[in-house]
Amino acid sequence: MRWVIGTLGVVLLGWGAVELLPVVADSPLSLGGWLLGGPVLHDALLAPLVGVGGAVIARVLPKPWRAPVGAGLVLSGVLVALAVPYLWRTFSGPVTPGLHDRPYLAGLLIALAVVWTGVVIAGLLGREKRGKRGNTPATP
Amino acid sequence: MKLRPPQEGDFTSPTHGPRVSARIGLWLGIAFGLCFVTGLISHGIQHPAAWFTWPSRPVNLYRITQGIHVTSGVAAIPLLLAKLWSVYPKLFGRPLVRSVPHALERGSILVLIGASFFELLTGVFNVAQNYPWAFFFPTAHYAVAWIATGALLVHIAVKLPVIREALSRRRTEQRPATGALTRRGFLLTTGAAAGVAVLATVGGTVPWLRNVSVFASRSATGVPINRLASAAGVTAADSSWRLRVGEVEFSLDELRAMPQTTADLPIACVEGWSASATWSGVPVRDLLRRAGLPAGSDLRVESLEKGGLYRSTTLPGTHTDDPLTLLALRMNGEELTLDHGFPCRLIAPSRPGVLQTKWVSRLEVL
Repeated sequence: MRWVIGTLGVVLLGWGAVELLPVVADSPLSLGGWLLGGPVLHDALLAPLVGVGGAVIARVLPKPWRAPVGAGLVLSGVLVALAVPYLWRTFSGPVTPGLHDRPYLAGLLIALAVVWTGVVIAGLLGREKRGKRGNTPATP
Repeated sequence: MKLRPPQEGDFTSPTHGPRVSARIGLWLGIAFGLCFVTGLISHGIQHPAAWFTWPSRPVNLYRITQGIHVTSGVAAIPLLLAKLWSVYPKLFGRPLVRSVPHALERGSILVLIGASFFELLTGVFNVAQNYPWAFFFPTAHYAVAWIATGALLVHIAVKLPVIREALSRRRTEQRPATGALTRRGFLLTTGAAAGVAVLATVGGTVPWLRNVSVFASRSATGVPINRLASAAGVTAADSSWRLRVGEVEFSLDELRAMPQTTADLPIACVEGWSASATWSGVPVRDLLRRAGLPAGSDLRVESLEKGGLYRSTTLPGTHTDDPLTLLALRMNGEELTLDHGFPCRLIAPSRPGVLQTKWVSRLEVL
């Protein structure tokens, strides 16, 4: 079973490499940058940032707020990432009637406001729950 | 405190490890699978191999498959990031390379991650018609899809025992969070992030979410215009315009005098947005009959456009034979505007928007 899946994988990989040859010949630098950019940016920048962010949250914030704020930051990051192609348009085609003509910055701000409202509600609810249980240690 | 590079064992958070990784990997695998299959469908319709046929019904079929393509890709972005976080400590595993198979495995993972990011990032930029690269997107996106899928299968083959173990193990106790989130919290957050990403974009093709999706590529009203007449170099046709079908010519008045068919059909763009409209016009089937051409022929559809990738398209027999494949003269009760394809445009069920040729001048049997 494993060998079947693995062999199939190698075949598809090879087929993709053949299909990619004209692009490699045509624009190697642009292609290489986009292929390597993701892993490099993730490993060297994004993941360390997430790790440090998590550690800071665990140190600075009281317990009921840690998960909501952590989750809120993750959702905010995803929203900001999805907004980039709409807000940074140096290389974009022209805006045509009915396409790419929404107020994307306002949309992003509204979405972030909704997320952080949720964070505040979840934090307050969590605090109340802990208060009711009667155990309120400042640190775990 | 002396600073040193992190080691695998430094990552104590319960959000790392096979239990998290296998679960998110399963979701990500489903998203990639849907994305790959629907992408191949879209590629097949636009560059059909001899054996490939695509049905013209249901009329929304392409709208659905391409909507799934873009939506599963968007959902895969937070899933990929969460998956990478769950295995991030492995990056610091030493020795870097233990053996030849181990080197190959690490290499295949680099290929997998590079190709995955490439597909998702170029995909969301292309949906926004934003092209910060030098290559031709369709060729590169298609080729790298095979590479990503191949590398994913290799990865699954290598990890199958670990995946099985991680997914079948009974519940274990929750380890306390050392960062912001517990394991359960991390999985829930990942699911929420995928949900938010989908909600923020899917309104481009799901009408009732149009006002919720702040990053939908199309706006709230009207049928979008992807290519303006001015961009295509087309000016309004005058009374000398004729539609040529095979050897026979029809004037616009003659087309208007023929029995008209009215149908609700979507424009479904490869970029994932779609828009329904009520179209009226002459079925292509009727035009073939009047021109004495065989029913169900493959047709070349030519536009008044002088250049451009989609000046001329191929309409397969399954579509020419469908009574809802129209040369439309009217949209939503009004004569087509120049930007929507005046004097007439092709509108066929279950077909990518780029192949719904505007400013049609000629139909020719292939």
